[in-house]
Amino acid sequence: MKPKLIIGIIAIVGFTSLLMYNFGNSISTYVNFEQASGMEGAHVVGTLDKSKDYGFSMKSKQLSFYMKDEAGNVRRVIYPKTKPNNFEEADKLVVIGKMENGVFYANEMLMKCPSKYNNNDGSQFQKASKSS
Amino acid sequence: MISFLGKFFINAAFLCSILAVIGYFLYSKKDRDQYFKVSNWLFGLQGLFLAVASGFLMYIILTHQFNFYYVYNYTSSDLQLKYLISAFWGGQEGSFMLWILVSTLLGFGLMKWTRKPFRGPVLFFLTLTQVFLLSMVVGISIGDFTLGASPFRSLAEAMPNAPFLQSNPDFVPQDGKGLNDLLKSPWMMIHPPILFVGFAMMTIPYCFAMAALWKQKYNEWVSPALPWTLGANVALLTAIFLGGYWAYVTLSFGGYWAWDPVENASFVPWLLGTAGIHTMIIQRKSSTSQKASILFAILAYVAIVYETFLTRSGVLADSSVHSFVDLGLYNQLVIFMAVVTLVGLGLFFYRYKELPSQQKESKFLSREFMTFAGAMILFLIGLVIILGTSSPIIGRLFVDNPTPPEVSFYNEWTMPLAMIAAIFTVLGQYLFWKKQNSETLANDLLWPVAIACVLTLASIIIGDVRNIYYMVYLLTAWFAVVGNGVIMIRLIRKNTMLIGGALSHVGFGILLLGILASSAYNENLLDQSMKNYNAAIERGEITDEQGFQKTQKVNFLELKLNQPKIIDDKYKVTYKGYTLRNQERPGQQQYMIKFEPADGEGEQFTLKPKVYPMLSSSSAGNIQWSVSPDVRTGWLSDIYLYVSGSAYVERRNEQAKEQAKERNQPVASTDEDTVTTQKITLGKGQTVAVGSYDLTFHSYGEIQNKKLQDSTMVAVQANLEVSPRGSDSSAPLSPIFSVYSKDGENWTYAPPVKFPGEKDASIQFSRVDPTNGDIELTIRGIEEKVEEEWVLLVAEEKPFISVVWLGTFLLMAGFSVSIFRHWGRERKKST
Repeated sequence: MKPKLIIGIIAIVGFTSLLMYNFGNSISTYVNFEQASGMEGAHVVGTLDKSKDYGFSMKSKQLSFYMKDEAGNVRRVIYPKTKPNNFEEADKLVVIGKMENGVFYANEMLMKCPSKYNNNDGSQFQKASKSS
Repeated sequence: MISFLGKFFINAAFLCSILAVIGYFLYSKKDRDQYFKVSNWLFGLQGLFLAVASGFLMYIILTHQFNFYYVYNYTSSDLQLKYLISAFWGGQEGSFMLWILVSTLLGFGLMKWTRKPFRGPVLFFLTLTQVFLLSMVVGISIGDFTLGASPFRSLAEAMPNAPFLQSNPDFVPQDGKGLNDLLKSPWMMIHPPILFVGFAMMTIPYCFAMAALWKQKYNEWVSPALPWTLGANVALLTAIFLGGYWAYVTLSFGGYWAWDPVENASFVPWLLGTAGIHTMIIQRKSSTSQKASILFAILAYVAIVYETFLTRSGVLADSSVHSFVDLGLYNQLVIFMAVVTLVGLGLFFYRYKELPSQQKESKFLSREFMTFAGAMILFLIGLVIILGTSSPIIGRLFVDNPTPPEVSFYNEWTMPLAMIAAIFTVLGQYLFWKKQNSETLANDLLWPVAIACVLTLASIIIGDVRNIYYMVYLLTAWFAVVGNGVIMIRLIRKNTMLIGGALSHVGFGILLLGILASSAYNENLLDQSMKNYNAAIERGEITDEQGFQKTQKVNFLELKLNQPKIIDDKYKVTYKGYTLRNQERPGQQQYMIKFEPADGEGEQFTLKPKVYPMLSSSSAGNIQWSVSPDVRTGWLSDIYLYVSGSAYVERRNEQAKEQAKERNQPVASTDEDTVTTQKITLGKGQTVAVGSYDLTFHSYGEIQNKKLQDSTMVAVQANLEVSPRGSDSSAPLSPIFSVYSKDGENWTYAPPVKFPGEKDASIQFSRVDPTNGDIELTIRGIEEKVEEEWVLLVAEEKPFISVVWLGTFLLMAGFSVSIFRHWGRERKKST
């Protein structure tokens, strides 16, 4: 074996393992509020708890609401932006942030909306025909 | 009828493409010209049928035939012509059609310009990819299995389970769902077509590489393939640029790049194609890197198909904001991908032993090594991005149900690679045009290094750069700009056509500078009170209404109507109101945010961000708002802002909610005593604030054509004007006040008039003060409290975005120069 080849192989293996290691660290799995404590950038999936007050406050400039995660825990979530579109309609919310003192501080929020393309969706359809 | 014809022509095109594949295969094997002619005819017919089918699709879109699922799903009758045309590629099926159309046109070009022995295999592989693409739109059903999704599906075929269609299969809706509001942008006209030009052109290097492997001619394919590959790159780069610019100026993503899977989908093939261009150039010059050229040409197209799969199969539905939803094409896409990859790599490894390998190793300081290393770096960057984009699949190795990687993953890996690439561009260019040893090279580089150091130092001082990593990054970027710039100037003196490479590399260096400046030094525009508030949050002193500690900084700029705020001692920013007039979309508001220099000297300007209701997804009780930012572009920095909330939007939301409530549970008309009533006194020419309105009493007027009581003794009319505060729209009002006598007594007659813009509010001219001419108005149903007119903005100062665009333009220009050079040389050869 030529020494260059060996160096090359070591370089490739080194690069790949470092890349994969780093990649493995930069992704995480979706967790619930209990598991999220102590995590940075935790992704929690859940639904909006409409039985409790929610809304954007002009005074503290934040959206606060209660979310029920998939394990059934309900926690207060604070999001430092205005209420996004589709917030109430979303099937699922994904909040990304960290848990502190029982409150989840989200830096980002994603909404999974009822699919516009769903083949069985008749409700939206009726609306379109009624509007004429 | 059209449904039948549309499907018929697509199927006919599909059939022709299959026959053409067979024809080209036979031609490539037996080399008889009849085969070529027949196959060309079949290919042409395929194109013709497809064009006719596309014509039908365009026709049903333009004539609003909502019985077609595609038309129903992506258009509506109020769409402007330009968006109706865009709707052609607004959905998956149509965009596949567009892709095939472009590919067909390219096929005609290849037919004309490609020489033997490559033209047979090249067209064979091109047509093969078209068979796969056409199979996505044929919509042939065999039993339970359907091949592809036809754009000519009827509603009943598309939604067999919808109850209203089961009861009435011939039901035709009055209107469609409309194009997604975010896509209603002039950019929608141009960005997707160019992207598909890029996708289709990137097929060509793949075809040439496969032809080379088939015909065992591993060197000659590069010259004809090079201009096509360059063309594909320019098209992809243009599409990426347009996409980034579109996102930046009309969507509130906050930037031009977000590492979104769909963005990556066009970026990775570009990187691999560029890697291929590097190895092809070196192969043409020195007959090395044959393997790498072939491999990159194959991988660039595999990347296109792979990313098509990722974005169209629904795999990414969770992690990308704008990926398509699965149309049931998952398996077909997997097969397409598998065939392209296996045939490509299979043939490559089958011929691997035969492929020429380098006898003598290149020295480190040689153009061969440098260019090859550059290609490898591009390849590695591509690999990193593919890995990140594939997180829903590859991430399963680490965790169940993986999330997308953090953005820092992309940045941390691509930045150092880009820095190495920047250095290599200069070394490569210095070695490309002249054989050098380390001594002469060091001599040559002395000045470029010195100038780059000075420029870096200047940037560090001016930009107050504190991060050492950024300093090194700046040095490499400036080095790329200066080093390649020197080469470029030398080349211009010799032959301008040769500057393609150097020019692109200068562009690359400038792009690196722009990326750092615009992303790392992006700043939110905040006034002093908000900065103090944020500082208090950081000290942990702020708790919110419910007593919880506030930990996140606030990045809003809140402005009250006509109350200026000073930002960074630099700007005086004032909210001057909004308008509803002359807007492109129904219900759209345009806000006027005026910027003046804080010291009063210099240019002032007004930014006009917009907010509009998304009609396609709003319901009666809930309006979905979307925003469109406004950007003030400057050489040094851009000011970018969008409206996050406003008093107007809040009011509209409340109204919608109330109306929905009333509709659901109609209440008997509200009791008189619960209605807010207020009396105000107003002199001539005065304006008073009522609720969220401004009310002005202009003058007394003559009463015209109004019913008055008989025996009226006095009658006056007040000319009023009501305007929602902050808006430039207003409505005139002219209530009357009269006195008449009946049965010997004096009575007043002053009918209330409806308050414009409000449902249950009225205004009545209830008294005149004879001493001073003041009038008294009784207003019912309007909140007594004067509402403040406010707007909540997200405003950012983004330095040197212009530099990003400049770098991109130079890259495009460099590639374009190279196209001309290589194309010209090819044409000369063929005559």
